[in-house]
This record gives sequence, structure tokens and C-alpha cells, in this order.
Amino acid sequence: MWRLTIRNTLARRARLALTLLAVVLGVTFVTGSLILTDTSQRLLDDQFRTATAGVDLTVRDAAAFDSAMGVEVERDPLPATIVDRIRAVPGVATARPLVRGQGLLSVGGKAIVPSGASVLASWEPAPVGAFSLRAGHPPVTDDELVVDAETALRRHIDLGDTVTVRAEQTTSLRIVGLAGFGDGPGLPNSTVGLVNLPTAQRLLKLGGDVSEVAVVAADGVDTQQLRGRVSAVLGPGYEVSASRDIAASSAAAAKTQVDYLQMMLFALAAAALLVGAFLIANTFSIVITQRTRELAVLRAAGATGAQVLGSVLGEALLVGVTASVAGTGLGVATAAGLRNLAGAFGIALPDGGLVVAPRTAIVAFAIGVGVTIVSAIGPARRAAAVAPVEAMRSAAAPSGRIRTVTGWIVTALGVTALIAVLAGTGSLALVGAAALSGVVGLTLLGPALTPGLARIMGRPLDAAGVPGRLARESAARAPRRTAATALALAFGLALISFMTVLATSIKDSVQQTYTEVISADYVIESARNEMLGGLPNHVHHHVSELPEVAVASRLRYGHWKDGQATDALTAVDPVTLPRVTSLHMVAGNLNAISGGGIILAERVARERHLAIGDSLPMTFSRTGTQRLPVVGLLRDRDAQALSTNYVISLDTFSRHYKENVDASVFVKVADGVSDAAAKKAINAALADAPTAQLRDQAAAVAGRTLMIDQVLGLVTALLMLTILIALMGITNTLALSIIERTREIGLLRAVGMTSGQLRWMIRGEAVLVAGLAIALGVSLGIAFAAGTVAALGRTAELALVVPPGRLLLVVAVAALAGLLAGLLPARRAAKLDVLTAIATS
Amino acid sequence: MTISIAPTQPPQTRSAVAAQARDVVKIYGRGDTAVRALDGASLSIPAGRFTAVMGPSGSGKSTLMHALAGLDTVDAGQVLLGDTDLSRLGERQRTLLRRERIGFVFQSFNLVPTLSAVENIVLPLTLAGRQPDQAWIDELVATLGLADRLRHRPTELSGGQQQRVAVARALAPRPEIVFADEPTGNLDSRAGEALLGFLRHAAHELAQTIVMVTHDPNAAAYADRVVFLADGRVVDDLPEPTVPTILSRMASLDAPALRKKK
Repeated sequence: MWRLTIRNTLARRARLALTLLAVVLGVTFVTGSLILTDTSQRLLDDQFRTATAGVDLTVRDAAAFDSAMGVEVERDPLPATIVDRIRAVPGVATARPLVRGQGLLSVGGKAIVPSGASVLASWEPAPVGAFSLRAGHPPVTDDELVVDAETALRRHIDLGDTVTVRAEQTTSLRIVGLAGFGDGPGLPNSTVGLVNLPTAQRLLKLGGDVSEVAVVAADGVDTQQLRGRVSAVLGPGYEVSASRDIAASSAAAAKTQVDYLQMMLFALAAAALLVGAFLIANTFSIVITQRTRELAVLRAAGATGAQVLGSVLGEALLVGVTASVAGTGLGVATAAGLRNLAGAFGIALPDGGLVVAPRTAIVAFAIGVGVTIVSAIGPARRAAAVAPVEAMRSAAAPSGRIRTVTGWIVTALGVTALIAVLAGTGSLALVGAAALSGVVGLTLLGPALTPGLARIMGRPLDAAGVPGRLARESAARAPRRTAATALALAFGLALISFMTVLATSIKDSVQQTYTEVISADYVIESARNEMLGGLPNHVHHHVSELPEVAVASRLRYGHWKDGQATDALTAVDPVTLPRVTSLHMVAGNLNAISGGGIILAERVARERHLAIGDSLPMTFSRTGTQRLPVVGLLRDRDAQALSTNYVISLDTFSRHYKENVDASVFVKVADGVSDAAAKKAINAALADAPTAQLRDQAAAVAGRTLMIDQVLGLVTALLMLTILIALMGITNTLALSIIERTREIGLLRAVGMTSGQLRWMIRGEAVLVAGLAIALGVSLGIAFAAGTVAALGRTAELALVVPPGRLLLVVAVAALAGLLAGLLPARRAAKLDVLTAIATS
Repeated sequence: MTISIAPTQPPQTRSAVAAQARDVVKIYGRGDTAVRALDGASLSIPAGRFTAVMGPSGSGKSTLMHALAGLDTVDAGQVLLGDTDLSRLGERQRTLLRRERIGFVFQSFNLVPTLSAVENIVLPLTLAGRQPDQAWIDELVATLGLADRLRHRPTELSGGQQQRVAVARALAPRPEIVFADEPTGNLDSRAGEALLGFLRHAAHELAQTIVMVTHDPNAAAYADRVVFLADGRVVDDLPEPTVPTILSRMASLDAPALRKKK
């Protein structure tokens, strides 16, 4: 039986090729995602481990938490005197002061803006320092600079060149050396500038203070015990940590940014495999329908039903294993491409050698083989049920009554859940449940609904005469096949429509709340989309002093811990903010935050049962848990325009945060000053802040929605893969259906159907299947986007916006692709020899 | 011969000969495996008559029919339908010619399963974008006893009914010639007799030229004339056939044919 299975698979290799391809693509996707995220995580681990490899303990200012939302908190600097106190502790071999901050490099007047950090640090030789010289000598005097070899290579920086460093102060320095980091030439997506300690202190305006102290234990001294001793000497204001722990927690913080990409990629891989599963099931059931006679002969010759089942599943196993091998190989090859794709959409990932963990191969095989076999179970069971005497059977197996009834029930549950969500009583989880039951329900209902739908949707095909009619009937006559083919495409299209509608809705509401609330003429923001904004603090100072500017008001973001969760707050200047915004206070007034209190978004206050006079406990990294009095409530839309639900004053901010960067500076132009004049003056004031960008309202909105566009772009690009698989499904199904209908085609040709008419008949069927998928997919996508918007709308200002243009584009692309999918089978059908076709029994 | 329903073609194309094969050669395969299915076959099909083509398996009777019907090309010789030389036509022209000027009845699988009986009947016309002549269709349907079966799908019809629908389909465009390939091969004798009776009726009463390929002497006896093929050539011609005369000719043909093969 096993030999027969192999022979069968090989004999139908052309037919199974497309199925194979579907599995291969799915497995490629999974493998690529796993490798990419593994690699990113390994690179981050390595990077942070290298950074602290030669150091046992690190002494920093105490903080309540290390990082929030993937960003490490800034800490207060330490007095330099602490270094001697640490050195005095028995067991300490070395204690070295380190300074670290941000410093933007400029070459020839052009700023180098990496997607990652612009590191500025004090030079420290190994083993304490992680950088090693590749050329030149270390920075000794105050005008010397060492940059990483990678940046030097990319920006053509040579020894002796002059490079400007912009930190708290700006200075031009001479390149005296190039450094590598660990084994590599630099840090991923970053620039590194290394100067001597006094220069670093001067550039970062630290006075005599240092960022941290690196401690190396003497030989034979236990690190944990030494940590206790140093900690005891320094007292509670300082945090003494094992460097290994810091590396781990820094890496973990950086990894949270990779995590969401991994989630997204997995979701997309799941979608690709779901679509692939339909294609596999379809191919197997068609192949088995065609083999019914052969199976009957097998049964008559004494094969048991179980043997037939085993034979078909064996075939699936062969396909699954082959596809998994190919998919894993391709996944390794595409992981780098996937990284570039993510990069093209603005999502930067560390670059380096690929990590192929054994787990990746295991998961790839489990999924590839698993999906193939599970998809083949249904057809295999039908094959096993073939009776030995069965010579021919009716073209369309009657669709199961139980299946249909179950399908209706499950679909009804999904629809009910969706209606509940739309009525405003459901959560996001309920939307997910509704989507799941929708997918399951429609999969079950497909064969029952298809004939009717195909006949209605296919009406326009009648205009094409008999070929059109026959195309419609052919789709309606094989409901199981048509349903599976159309559903595969429909789910891909549903995901794309869903993402499109959701993203448009979010962008639209961002724009609406922004334009409604922010009345500033311009906003200055950092071109790098940093979590906290990253605008140097002198920008506000320079701009507000311009005579062309009536008022400049700045915003800062900060992270805080709300129990275990991390949240963000916005700090504002209560005096100037009202002049650049039109805020609607629901209770209290904005000025009240000057006293150290907090204003909450109305909805947050309601959820937390807080009113003016109550207080909110908040944990800050620098100052620990504080209770801030609630002094006002802000309308939800306005809070959204300020990006958070918590608003404090800049004074309060400076008490709890060390971070010294602005998120936005809102600018109102002085009366009588033309736009052009104002723009010119402001841009001149921004000359020493290369990352600062002057944006009008439209550009400001675009900056706020950039992330959405990036994710939408990446997801759409990857979802096209699902569409591709689904289209191969159409090609496959039609090719098989042509084999099934050889005699009918022969007859049609004999009685006078031209090959052109025949081609249109096949293409018509392809377009009809695509049309069914489009109708179903796009409406599903819109419905679930509406549900998601409704669910999200309970916690944010959000209204459904359906973008007709973009959806029409999706529809047009899918219809065209359907036509393309029909080209090959149509050509094949037209090439069928009339006589052979008639003679086929 | 009553011409109550006038044929669409002008009378001159309805002259004595409806179709003709002249020294037709058809070779399948190449080199050592080449088979001369037709080896200089010549045949004239008289218009308005019912001609049967008989011959043992492998005699080339189906190949000859396919060549005459424009379903297949020939390697040498000439095939004429009326004044049209089929050997000069391309694939598309032959397709158009088939749907305009030729009708077919096959042994089985004559009907498109997704179309109703009446849709199958008018299929060649709709493929050509022509309006069916309703009176003519009505008459065909009435004569063939299909009036109450028009809305049915092929799977809902008996074998005999299916073949009668196929005959109606073949006659619907008023073709110059109808080819029937073993039309009764899958029918029981009663249904077969009814169908053959109708084919004869169509030739005699409706002036329809009909060519039927068969190996069944009982079926061939319905024809006005039987042509015998052996080894790719026309070897005999029997006018006004009866079952006994057919059987005796077949017996005399079979023996040399077998001898030759050995």
C-alpha cells in the first residue's frame, strides 16, 4: 500500500505541485518569521551582553523601574566622588566612572540620523569598555573623537576628519580612531561617538557627575557578596546591580519592540496557512473524486477502507514533508528579505547573522505536515467510504445536512456577537470570537450557499452568452470546490479590507481630534519617531524667542507604572497651552495643574471612580510612588489630541523625570507675520537641531499616523502572499475541473464552441469565483472592522470610516488577479484536442 | 420528398453530393508505430439521403467521419463539404463551419449536463449568436416527443430521451449534414428503433442529409445506402440495404480483412 501511495503521489505531481506550493509558502512564512525574530533577539542579547562583558557590577542612581514600553528610563547622574568610595570597598579591583548619553553626529554640515540611537559615551579601554579600537588611537585630548567603524564606512569618515557632535552642547571634534563593538564594526542601526570623560561630561552638561560606575571584582571575590558590600557602603540612594542582570533587562526592553512584529508575522503566517489549508483540502478532494473508480477497484480487490484512508493520508504526509523541507529552506533564505521588507516600511531590526534554532525547524515541520494532513482528513474519509461496486457517482456529492445546520448555528452565533459589539456592549475579545465563528460557520456553510450565490453573482456573465452561462453553472454545480476556492481568497481579502478600514478609521479620528483640538499654526517635532519625542530642549527656547512667534508651547511625554501596567502621561505648560489649543475641560480648569496635580480624561476618571479632590497613586522611575491630586477632567477627544489620558504640568514633570526632551512644540505665529516669513525664521532657529522638523497641521497628523501607515503597508504586502496562495487555488481548482469536464469541453467544441469562447468560459468561472470571494471578503472585512471600531470606541474616540477608493482598489486588484488565475487553465482547455476530449471515457 | 420546410441553403449546394472525400489519407503516430487509419478513402455522400458507414474495428470509419465533419485534419487528399474544401480551413474556421453547417449525434455524452434539454437543443445556435427558428424547433420537439421534457436536465432524462435531444440539437441549425456516431450504441432496442426511425424520417421527409457510423446491421438497415470500409478504404457500397444483405457483405469483407492483418 505504501508503494502505491508513493507511486500515486508521483503520478499526480503536476496536480499536487500547486498544493505543495501553498504549503511551502505557509511554511516559508512561519520559518522566516521565527528566524527573523530569533535573530533579532539573539543580536539584542549579544549586544547587551557584550556591552557589559568585562564588568561585574554597575552602580547607578536608584530607580523604581528600569524601562517602560521598550524605553530605558533616564536616571540622575552620580557625583564623581562616589568612585573613590567604591574603590575603597574591599574586593573591588577596578571602579571606573562612565558617561553615556545621546549625541548626534554631523559630517560636513549634514547630520547623521540613524533609525536607532546616536550614542555618545566616554571612552573606556577594555575590559571595562566594550568598544575596541580598529584604527587610530583612543580619544585623549578634549578635541578628539572616536566613531564606530560601521558609521565611518557608511559615511566615508576618515581619521583626521572633523565631525560635529550635538548633545546638550555642540562641539566639532577631530576623528582620531575608529572603534568596533565586540566582534562587529558597530551597534545595529546606531551611531557611536566616543570621547574622553571630561569632554563627555562637558557635552552632556554633567559638570563633574557621571552616568554610572563600572565595577570589576578582584580575583576570587564573589560578585553577589561584593554587591552587598558596595550597596551597604553607598546607602539606599544608589542601585548596585550585577551587570549580567542589567544586560538581560536592557535586552528584554529592546525585545518588546521585536515582540509585536513577531505577533504580527505569526498572525499573517496563520492566515497564509488557513488559506493554504483550503487549497490542500480542495486539491485532495478533487483528486479523490477523480480517482473514485480506481479506489473502487482497490476496494473490490480487497483493500479495506482503513487502507484507502491510510493511502490518501500517506499521500498528504509525503506532500507535507516535501513542502516543509522546501519551506524551511526558503524561510531561511527569505528571513533576510523579510527584514529588508520591514525596514522598507520603517520598522528597523538589528542586522546580523541568521539564527536558525532547532525549534524553528521543528515548528515548521509540525505546521507544514500537520496542516496538510488535517486538510486531507475530510477527503481521505470520503475516499475510504467509496463502495467497491461504485463505478461512477454523481458529480456533486450532496452537502451534509448536519454540516449545513451546524454552519448556520455557528454563523448565527458569530453574527449575534458582532451585532452585540456594534450595539456597543462588546469587547475586542468578543469581536475575535465573532470572527472565529464567522470563519468556521462560513466554511461549514460554503457548499450549501454557493450554488445560489454563484447563480446570483454570475448573472452579469449571461451577457457573454452561453460561455458565461456555462461558467456560472460550472461554479454552481461543484459547490464544495467553488466554496473552498472562494473562501480561501475571501479570507485573504477580508484581512486586507479589515486592516484598510481599521487603519483609515484610526487615522481619520486622529486627524479629526487633532485638527479640532490643536489650533497651533505649526508644530515642531523630531523626524525620528522616538517614543518620547526626542526633540532637544533648546528648540523650544530658541523658537519662543523669535519675534515672528506669538507663542510656543511644549509637550513632554513620560512613562509611569500603574500597578503592574505601564502607562504614559503628557506634561504641558498650563499658561501657554490654551493659546495653541482649544481644550474643553469637563470639570476644573487647566491652571490647577500648576500646583502639582493631574488632569484626567473624563473616561479614565469614570472608570477609576475618581473625581476632583481624589488622588491617583502613580509610580515614577525616579521618585517612586506618589499620589497626585486630581484637579480637573478633560474631554476625551481633547485628551486624545494630547496623546494621553493623564496631563500634568511641566514643573511636575521635572520633579519626577530626568528625561530632558520635548515631544512637540506647538507654535502660534504672531499677528501680521506671513506664513513664509514665520517658516523661514523658525527653520533658521532649528538649524542646530537637525532632527527637528517644522510641520503644518497636515504633516503633524501624518507624523502621528506614520506608524499606522507602516504597519498597514507591511501587513498588506505580506497579506498579498495569502492572496497569491488563494489565486493559485483558483488556478489549481480550474485546472482540475477542466480535467473533470474533458468530455463536456470536447462536446462543446464539437458542436461549435470556438476556442476563444471556451477560454472565456474558463476565465468567466475564475472571475466569478474571485467575485464571490471579493463580495464575501470585503463585506466580512468591513463588518469586522466596524466591530473592532465599536469595541475600541468604548475606550477611545473612534468612528468607522470606510475608504471607498482603497477598497475599490482591493476589489479591482482581486478581480484582475482572478482573471489572471484563469488564464493558464483557459489556455490549457483551449488546447485540448477535440477528438481526444470526445473519446475520453 | 416533401419540402414543406424549405432548407436555408440555395438549391445548388443541395445538388447531388452533400460531402465528399477524395483519396483521403490519415496517419497516426510516426515511424515504426505509424498507423494509416485512412489509406486513400474516397466517398460521396448524396444530399438528402441517409447513409450508413460500416466496417470492422480499426477500418477507419470513425476517422473518416471525423475528417468529413471537420473534427480532424487529413494528411493527404481532399474533404469537401458542399463546395468548401475542409483541408484548407484553419481550426477556428472549422469550428465555425461545424456549428453553422454540421450537426452531431455521438454515442454518449451528447448533452451539457448543466443546461436544460431545450438549452442543449439550441446550443449551436446560441454559440453562434443566432436566433433559433422557433417554429422549426417546435416541430422538431413535437416530432421527437420531447415537448414535456424541455425544462429537464440531462440527468433527469432516460437514455433514449437524451439521444432524441441530441438529434434535435443536431437538426436545430438546419445543417447541411448530420453525422451520427453509433447513436444507438447505448440504447435498448426499442429506444434505438425509435431513434433510427426518426433519422430516416428526417432524411426522407425533411430532406436532411445524414451519415451514420455503426457496426450494427440492424441499425444500418434503416439507411438508404451502406458504405463498407476496410483498412482505411471504401471497399463496398450497398444501396437499399436489408439486414441479410448487410450480413452477407460483412462476412465477405471480414475474411480478407483478417487475412490481410495476419
